[in-house]
Amino acid sequence: MSRPPLPPEVRALLDREREVPPLPAAVRARLVARARAAVAAGAVRDPAAPRTAPRVRWAAAAALVLLASAAGAAAYGLRARFAAMPSRPPAVVVPAAVVAPPAPAASPAPAATPAPAEQPAPHAAEAPRLSPADAARAELRLLRQARAAVARQDFAAALAPIAEHARRFKDGRLAEEREALRVKSLAGLGRTDEARRAAAAFEARFPRSVLLPAVSKMPASEP
Amino acid sequence: MSHLRLVTPPASQASSDVACLDAFQREVDYVYRTLRRLGVGSSEVEDLTQEVFLALRGAWGAYDPGRPLRPYLFGIAFRIASAYQRKRNREVAFGIVEVGDAGPGPDDALQSKQARALVLAALERIPLPRRAVLVMHDIDDVPVSDVARVLAIPLFTVYSRLRKARRELQSALRRMLKEADAR
Repeated sequence: MSRPPLPPEVRALLDREREVPPLPAAVRARLVARARAAVAAGAVRDPAAPRTAPRVRWAAAAALVLLASAAGAAAYGLRARFAAMPSRPPAVVVPAAVVAPPAPAASPAPAATPAPAEQPAPHAAEAPRLSPADAARAELRLLRQARAAVARQDFAAALAPIAEHARRFKDGRLAEEREALRVKSLAGLGRTDEARRAAAAFEARFPRSVLLPAVSKMPASEP
Repeated sequence: MSHLRLVTPPASQASSDVACLDAFQREVDYVYRTLRRLGVGSSEVEDLTQEVFLALRGAWGAYDPGRPLRPYLFGIAFRIASAYQRKRNREVAFGIVEVGDAGPGPDDALQSKQARALVLAALERIPLPRRAVLVMHDIDDVPVSDVARVLAIPLFTVYSRLRKARRELQSALRRMLKEADAR
């Protein structure tokens, strides 16, 4: 192939970039855990599939949420160091459906991911008392309880930690997931109207959420 | 209490999920870096990495395991980065990559980090369709015929974009180095 040659200094720079730098372990763990959680949660959304063994999958999802957020909490201090960097526009989450390459018709989006697409800083009432890392851990603990309850299909028990999370971390890092769990729990309890309202509120608050397609279907998914 | 009907995918879906997750796990660093090379900001790159995974999962059935995975992932990442850029609508000033962000470290690592930051910043100044060709061919070493296939463009277009992108890269680097010297 004919290549108009690049000057050696440019070539040398590109050569430096050629090697893919390894991600920090915490970032890597978070990304992989999110992917795993998406797969585990995606199982919920496949209406054509046989219905078996949900508990294990939800438990796995909950465990992965824990792993991901623990890594997130560990990385929190590191993130804070970059807070002084030039500000960026808010996160733009591109819906997978818009950009996915030609794909099989059913490509379930996740019903839940551990790290929300839009991440307001943890604050609210906890801010003065907890360090960011502690707040992240506390958020995580509550949502882990909620997810475990959902995994057991004990939706009533899920609502308590959800309410507590909402009270302590109204705009916390995991607010998006909390609201998705709320919709799921209300739907699970057969409180369809409330589930619908919660789903509408979710859509209004997180219009670009990757969870939105799943959340929108939750109220209707109950008998 | 009514029960939420939870479902598990059929066995074939489950095994393809395992394969897809496994592949993603192996290449997550590459996906992340590719998105950065394609201009995705550090605050969004994790979310878009997840988008790449979701798209990969959706398209896993169409992936031919006989072919190398990275160009395939690049194709997905490119589409996602393009959509991201359209949404962002060029509202972010180009070239705000963290060139001066290198922390203390051994000289060599520092130099390497600065070189990488310089390349990223220079790439930012090349329009995305041409940048994609340059990154694939000149950094990832993907043959031009595969670049054409993955990006769904004619071979001739690959060559012309490559030529132009290289010129743009050189002049961007020259300009940036001059600016750095002037400071």
